[in-house]
Amino acid sequence: MNNKKHPNRTLLIFCAPALLVYFVFKLYPAISGIYYSLTDWNGINKTFQIVGLANFIEIFKDEYFWNSVAFTLKYVVVIVVLANVAALTLAVAIESLPKYKGLFRTIFYMPNMISMVIGGYMWMFIFTKVLYYMADNWNFKFLDKSWIGDPKYSFIAIIIVATWGAVGYLMIIYMAALQGVSTELKEAATLDGATTWQVFWKVTFPLIGHAVTICIFWALNSGFQVFDVIYALTGGGPGRATQSVAINIYEEAFKGNIRYGYATAKSTVLFLIVLVVTMLQLNITRRREEEL
Amino acid sequence: MKLKKLLAFTLSGIMMLSLAACGSSAQGEAVANDTGATAEAPQEAELNIMMSFPQYMEQWEGYCRQFEEKMLAEKNIKVTVNLEMPSSDQYETILQTRLTGEDAPDLFTLHSNNIGTYNKAGNLYDLSNEELAGKIYDNVKETVSVDGHLMAVPIESQAWGVLYNKDIFEQYGLTPPETLSDLKAICDTLNENDVTPFMLAFQEQWVPQLMTGLTLGDIVSGKLTDWLDRMYKDEGSYDEVREIFDVIDLIMQNGTDRAMEEGSEAGSADFANGKAAMYVQGTWAANTIMETNPDMKLGVFALPINDDKNCTLVNLSTSTTLAVYPDSKNLDLALEFANYVLDDEDSSALFQSCSFNPLASCHNYESASWVDEASKYVAAGKAYQDLVLPSSVTDEQGRLLQEYYVGSVTVDDIVKRLDKAFQDANALN
Repeated sequence: MNNKKHPNRTLLIFCAPALLVYFVFKLYPAISGIYYSLTDWNGINKTFQIVGLANFIEIFKDEYFWNSVAFTLKYVVVIVVLANVAALTLAVAIESLPKYKGLFRTIFYMPNMISMVIGGYMWMFIFTKVLYYMADNWNFKFLDKSWIGDPKYSFIAIIIVATWGAVGYLMIIYMAALQGVSTELKEAATLDGATTWQVFWKVTFPLIGHAVTICIFWALNSGFQVFDVIYALTGGGPGRATQSVAINIYEEAFKGNIRYGYATAKSTVLFLIVLVVTMLQLNITRRREEEL
Repeated sequence: MKLKKLLAFTLSGIMMLSLAACGSSAQGEAVANDTGATAEAPQEAELNIMMSFPQYMEQWEGYCRQFEEKMLAEKNIKVTVNLEMPSSDQYETILQTRLTGEDAPDLFTLHSNNIGTYNKAGNLYDLSNEELAGKIYDNVKETVSVDGHLMAVPIESQAWGVLYNKDIFEQYGLTPPETLSDLKAICDTLNENDVTPFMLAFQEQWVPQLMTGLTLGDIVSGKLTDWLDRMYKDEGSYDEVREIFDVIDLIMQNGTDRAMEEGSEAGSADFANGKAAMYVQGTWAANTIMETNPDMKLGVFALPINDDKNCTLVNLSTSTTLAVYPDSKNLDLALEFANYVLDDEDSSALFQSCSFNPLASCHNYESASWVDEASKYVAAGKAYQDLVLPSSVTDEQGRLLQEYYVGSVTVDDIVKRLDKAFQDANALN
């Protein structure tokens, strides 16, 4: 068999379908987006002009854009920590169950199988009808908050829904990693007198470092691009109070002055921000992994 | 070995799939040939139509089927009409993508405010010489024409103001207000009787925006007639129309709770169920309201902004229109359909079933009571043509009113930000 001579070729063949999709639907739009960011195209006109870096210069003065960047950063910090802690806790809890692992794994993974837009609308119903029903009829007064209208509470609402949606996916990755930790090591530690808590932090956690890297990377990356949850819940409102960068870009491109060129310039900036942050993160976490 | 097995497996899988595909397409052809042979070989054609009001899906599906029958009977063309109805808040995004992706529908609806932009981009066919052009009422025709050329078929045209619950008004002996003081008195009476005066549903930005739509129209038609022209020349300011916040404040202070958690449809349903006596919402919501509560007695009055009766006017506007794509492969058929929308025989039934207002000479049906009530204002000259603001300014108004409601901006902030939004839009167009 010639597979042994050209291991890379086989690899490529197997990756080809995914690569093709990646090139056509991700890479090509990303690169052509950079081209459009240098134009003043409005999305419907048949002609447009190249305006050079004018769009990028304008971004620096765009207060709404930087506000949305600040909001997104706040969101990313909270979601990365919360989603990962919740996912790891769930993974450990389910892994330590003697029975019904499959059942709980399925239940917590389920939100991941429906679109976040639909999930968002479901939660919208909970926040605007169910919670108020409970507040009015069962006297749960602490629920009587403006869940969509007050930016403080709508941020909590957004975080709840986003965590609910992301946790299942991360949990599966953590579970896979936990299963890879050999029981001998844990048993050895226990025999040496380590408590369960110590076993987890000193043995298990360092050994699932690669999963932590992947999960933080994924959470960072999807956090920066958050759109569907916010779109379904608050639409970025009231006003622009809960506008993420992706929503800001969407509104620039499809609402108001319909400025595709300017919007693609903004997404190029977002791309650069995500690139720098994730590269930093990968560097730091990988160094930690190597130290072990 | 394992690899080989896997490969064989996938390959056979692919082959089976493609075989199945062959089978179905062969079948499809056979059927098509069959019908072709029996019915004197009618010409086959396809017409793609995209519309933005899924709430009228049933009515328009039916109308498309009628059109198919008519074409088969009269022209011996077997038309298949593909009607798409994306939800209205995503509609424009989809339309723009389709137009630029060279996948344009043959006919599409669009808001009359966008006719200028789309016409400039070369996306609208000039309908001035079509049969339908002669049927549309003149004051409606104006709203869908550019330099005297008819660019779209008007579909939803309405006179609108504030909706009110006639039963509640009758119960407390109230009549529609003519001035702001009247409106204040109405609110006081209702509050004394524990009835919430206004329904507030501000979750979607376009609903609070209706308040600026109405009040700006009032003020510009009533006294500051040159304000909008000056705004377009960067010579005006929202500071001059600050007065509109008198009535906006009154509405917000006398409204239902949890407005930001209430969507427009939910608002209409709650209003229909008597949760509040008045609702700043157009007559397009009548469909939902009457469906929720068929016994509802719905009325319309003009929103007063001050104590000058001349400023209390209803808004006369065309929202949805239907345009023909000029590079359509089936341009003739597309024009047939456009004409069929205002067909002498069938159009009335369609417009009535959607409770649209009559807008052409072919419409001879009796309109709903609330339409009549609004039409009385128009007949008395107490109406103005909807203001055409840049759509970025309209969006900004909606956003700012949400923020004003939750208390994160003041009127001064609003004036400043709207002036800036207007100037930005001017600079771009």
